[in-house]
Amino acid sequence: MKAIECTDLVKKQGWHHHVFNGLSFHIEENTITGLIGRNGAGKTTLMKILAGFWRETAGEVKVFSERPFNNIFASANTILIDEQVNFPTALTLTEIFTAAERFYANWDMQLAMRLFQHFNFQPDQIHQRLSKGKKSTFNMIIGLASRCGLTMFDEPTNGMDAAVRSDFYRALLKDYIAHPRTIIVSSHHLEELEDVLEDILLIDEGRQLLHAPIDEFREYAVGLTGRREILTPWVNGKRVLFSKEIDKNTAYVVIRNQDISLETAERIGLSVSPVSANDVCIYLTNKQRGAIDDVFK
Amino acid sequence: MILNSDGGKPIYIQIAEWLEAEILNGNFQPDEKVYSQYQLAEMFTINPATAAKGLTKLSDEKILYSKRGLGKFVAKEAKSIITDKRKNQTLKGLLRETVLEAERLDVSEEELITMMRAMNSELNKGDES
Repeated sequence: MKAIECTDLVKKQGWHHHVFNGLSFHIEENTITGLIGRNGAGKTTLMKILAGFWRETAGEVKVFSERPFNNIFASANTILIDEQVNFPTALTLTEIFTAAERFYANWDMQLAMRLFQHFNFQPDQIHQRLSKGKKSTFNMIIGLASRCGLTMFDEPTNGMDAAVRSDFYRALLKDYIAHPRTIIVSSHHLEELEDVLEDILLIDEGRQLLHAPIDEFREYAVGLTGRREILTPWVNGKRVLFSKEIDKNTAYVVIRNQDISLETAERIGLSVSPVSANDVCIYLTNKQRGAIDDVFK
Repeated sequence: MILNSDGGKPIYIQIAEWLEAEILNGNFQPDEKVYSQYQLAEMFTINPATAAKGLTKLSDEKILYSKRGLGKFVAKEAKSIITDKRKNQTLKGLLRETVLEAERLDVSEEELITMMRAMNSELNKGDES
């Protein structure tokens, strides 16, 4: 069953700016999807529309077969955790848990309290006074313990140190295995997150660029390093995702894996290296303005 | 085993190869049940769908067989299938790289064979001591 169906979604902000202009995709139930894109690609906007916070301009959005905007069914079964989550300043951390328990039918207080202790929170702390990383950690606990059918994390690891981030990925995975549900995570740390993902949805300038299992991203491209006179005729006519001059005679290019025979490439003296899913996403969303090196020329 | 996440081999292939190694070194015997996709997911902190893909690959190659509702088990011929496969793929691939490197270094065929014999006796000597 499909948890999310998005058809020709249009979202305008202001008179002229289209965040989305005909975005279509669907997400299967009980999968973990990474929502990846550059700054300003529309990740947050998409999550806010799916959570029912913002209204779509045109097109159709369905979450569990219902339109999420202004919909009590959607808000009871969806949670969006982002940096802007606001909790009443008069409540202590444990009082926030009690309030969340009242709202979310699947709330697991035992899990919430165990994570609370694991991450050394004090019951009478106030959310507003927590450090940035502690805030993110607390919000993440709310996201996991609510056990919503659709759980979304927008940049959940902002401010978390490396140890907490790694704990978070493991907690997310363990709780997902025990209680399968549809999870979407946006992150700029794809290399840390990718192992727990099933699919990646890569968006850019409000369009869907690629929506595929994580392994397809890992096998999508290869890097070739070699002498220019060998490399240039070899990649001629193929789609070059990225290229970089190493020195006067040597260059590095990234092309689609399916476009070449690796055996032949190695035989003619090119060295072949893998390209990570993270780099594939960067190259696919590169703008025409050239690489960072061009700025320093 | 720590998975290699630098973009080289897809994770499901690494999982399949790890299970193959476990079968080769006898940690799993014929007709013994192997880990489920959820156990593998927890062990390696990977998505269960990725783990399932690794198991399916081994089933497709007849290294594992399924009992409905019970899980996946090691086939009787698993070891010989894995050994054959590694001879034909891994070993051939390594040889190809060796020959290519020898060509780049202008090492002749005879010289290469002599080097391999020397390596062979060196490693076997190590075993005996």
